[in-house]
Amino acid sequence: MTVTTSPLLTVQDLTVRYGTAQALSDVTFSVAPNTALAVLGANGAGKSTLARALSGLVPPVSGSVVLDGDDLTGRPPESIRRAGVLHLPEGRGVFPSLTVMENLRMATTGDRRGRPAAVDRAFTVFPALRDRQRQQAGTLSGGEQQMLSLARALMIDPRLVIADELSLGLAPKMVDVVFESLRRARAAGVAVIMIEQFATRALNFADDCLILQRGRAAWSGPATEAGPELLHRYLGS
Amino acid sequence: MLSYVVAGLALGAIYAIAAASLVVTHVSSGVFNFAFGAMAFAVARFYYFLHIEQGWPLPLAAVVAIGLFGPALGVLLYAVLFRHLRQRSPLVKIAATIGLSVALPPLVNLALGQLVNVTAPGLAPQPVAVYRPFGTVVDANQLITYAGLALVLLVGTALLRFTDTGLRVRALVDSPALTAMSGVSPARVSLGVWAFSALLAGLAGVLVAPTAGLSVEGMTFLMAAAFAAVVAARLRSLPTAVGVALAMGVVTSVIQRYLDPESALSAQIVPSVPFLFMLAFLLAHALRGRAGDAPTGGVLDRAIRTESGTAPTATTGSGYVAPLLTIAVVACLPLILDDFWTGLVATGIALATALLSCTLVTGEGGMIWLCQITFAGLGALFAADLATNSGWPPLAAVLVSAVCVVPVGVVLGLLTIRLGNLYVALVTLTFGLLAQNLIFMRDRFYNSGQGIYMPRPEWALDNRTFAFLSLAVFCALGVFAVNLRRSTAGLAVTAVRWSETGSRTLGLGVVPVKVLVSAVATFVAAVGGGFLALAYQSALPDSFSPFTGLVWLAVLVTVGARPVVGALVAGLAFAVLPSVFQTYLPTRWAEVPVIMFGFGAVMLARDPEGVLAMHARQLRTVSGWLRTRRTPAADKPSAPTPQGELV
Repeated sequence: MTVTTSPLLTVQDLTVRYGTAQALSDVTFSVAPNTALAVLGANGAGKSTLARALSGLVPPVSGSVVLDGDDLTGRPPESIRRAGVLHLPEGRGVFPSLTVMENLRMATTGDRRGRPAAVDRAFTVFPALRDRQRQQAGTLSGGEQQMLSLARALMIDPRLVIADELSLGLAPKMVDVVFESLRRARAAGVAVIMIEQFATRALNFADDCLILQRGRAAWSGPATEAGPELLHRYLGS
Repeated sequence: MLSYVVAGLALGAIYAIAAASLVVTHVSSGVFNFAFGAMAFAVARFYYFLHIEQGWPLPLAAVVAIGLFGPALGVLLYAVLFRHLRQRSPLVKIAATIGLSVALPPLVNLALGQLVNVTAPGLAPQPVAVYRPFGTVVDANQLITYAGLALVLLVGTALLRFTDTGLRVRALVDSPALTAMSGVSPARVSLGVWAFSALLAGLAGVLVAPTAGLSVEGMTFLMAAAFAAVVAARLRSLPTAVGVALAMGVVTSVIQRYLDPESALSAQIVPSVPFLFMLAFLLAHALRGRAGDAPTGGVLDRAIRTESGTAPTATTGSGYVAPLLTIAVVACLPLILDDFWTGLVATGIALATALLSCTLVTGEGGMIWLCQITFAGLGALFAADLATNSGWPPLAAVLVSAVCVVPVGVVLGLLTIRLGNLYVALVTLTFGLLAQNLIFMRDRFYNSGQGIYMPRPEWALDNRTFAFLSLAVFCALGVFAVNLRRSTAGLAVTAVRWSETGSRTLGLGVVPVKVLVSAVATFVAAVGGGFLALAYQSALPDSFSPFTGLVWLAVLVTVGARPVVGALVAGLAFAVLPSVFQTYLPTRWAEVPVIMFGFGAVMLARDPEGVLAMHARQLRTVSGWLRTRRTPAADKPSAPTPQGELV
């Protein structure tokens, strides 16, 4: 990995179980400030579990997650969110019965004074949302819901964004918007962990790459070294 | 006419406050609060204590009781109970809140003293001022009730719609996981919701006290009536709940204008109005297929929910020693105890048979029926009627009446087959309340509370022989239940309990399986009821009230709803423990067993398998520990058995 400075996020021997099923075992990696990590793997490899464990949704059995010297292991999700880790979950990460505006308000509950500016920023990035601010989020199209989800990341300044399969089920044009938005976040100095089905696009975007296989870290290294042969071996595509 | 509407609106306003509180807590925390009536009683009783017994001025007493004590109670209950319930199975959620409703009122009575006179003042200063606008009569209590509802609606709507706090509550309803990921603690939001809900419960309790009386029964009835509005709102929609609650109050009041106040029929119909409402709405929802289990939370919440109970703990074949030993001990009791205690043991065994039906329908079938006591009551009354009025031999009467009750259970089973768990619980409770009002209270059966005489068989007149007879019947039905569990039909029942969808894909018909379970369970309940009547030598309608049924269920799930012998232990505990306390301890402790039963059910929130399973697990751990100590070379001690939930 390209470790030039001390890493922003350090994950050591992270192990997660769902009931009796082992979902992740001894996963170790780190993310440097202002870099992007692509997490790749086949279905059921543990990518989403990794994201959920990092954001505190599922408690790890063992291992540690440290953000810039701050031990996040076992902390509740709201506390991890306040520490600066923003998880954009797989599927539609919006509150369906709240309006667009209310969704944006929910994203800024921690900082009410900065709210007008943040909402303004969200509308500048995604003007389509401004026209629909009174509409219920559940009635938006899939792409618009994903925009809203992304707006939650772009309107504030998290330290790390975990983007879980954001391009899933989107039209190609919207996939471009997703990548463009994450690039924008990076430009603002945010580190990104990207879980993605479009392996090649993700690798082009990321600095480093982590390949998961059956809950274990199978390969990790610079994104440039993750060539087609490697991907074929682990992802079968 | 107008005066009826005015009175009805006051009643409806109280229903509306209760219904609104029930809906808000249900959508935000996934828990349907069966203990609402008990909480209302606790606050109203505390208000009475401050205002009447301690002589505090009315406004101060009202503010302290409703504004401080109520929310504090809500916070406390959240911390010890509701917090643990979100991820539990529907049965545990229902049983634990029922347990609370069973335990809380006697606890309050223990602390503040039992009230002999249940008339209580409302929030209006005494003497209550009366106004006569437009030729009708309105008293100050009614005006305060209207104002209370208006205030609750205004403040509630403003809070929910326009504040950040309300936004958080609504976000929590959508998805707890996403709420937490937005940096908002779901636990703190829930805490606030429960505190507010307890405040509303207290308000409803204080407001209803002048008309319904400051009694547990009055408050529980208020709660049960408010359920109707909540069901109409499909457990979610606040405006519908409030609207239907008001309509219900008005109908209840206006209908009295057209009924002869002297007739027995009107005394039965008036309290039944809310339940008829509920039945109508349930049928409407069921016909439109909109009464299934509403998924709680969002996609993400379901994805991260760990399915506990993937590895069910062995309930069959886990040894015959303990059950046989228990039965042997119970069989010895009539031989060593005197006649009084033998009579209680016999009652306990008869009750165990009735509880066995809960084991079958809830523990085995996974259907949360709250009306097994009603089937027992029907069995008892019909049997007594046959034996006394038609001269049948008692045992034949019990058997025939049990067979006659079976179709009722089957029809109820068919009606509720497509309903979600919570709806099933509510329908069966409603059915029980309706049967109580419309059948048990008929003069033919009620007989001014004396019930119908039920003779025992000639050869089992003394308590000892009768105890053995009941035990034999219990064992026969218990063996039948165990065999049913192990048969192919029983496997199908288990399969349906674990996953209805999975069973359908296997080609198992869910309908025949559920009908089988409900038929068998109804039969067993009715036989148990018949034996209870034999034990008392009278079929007493009052002893088969649905609220007593809730205590039954609390006792049973506390002991364990799955093992057959659990029903025996629960039955004996229910029948014998109160007398033990009455005989050997001061009278004011008489209610302690009920409190224990209730708290036992509350503890399910922590350990969903019941006391028997908990002790069995502890014993296994100890014996495993001893074994590993004896053989130090053995590998590491066995991991504790994974927790499996009941349903």
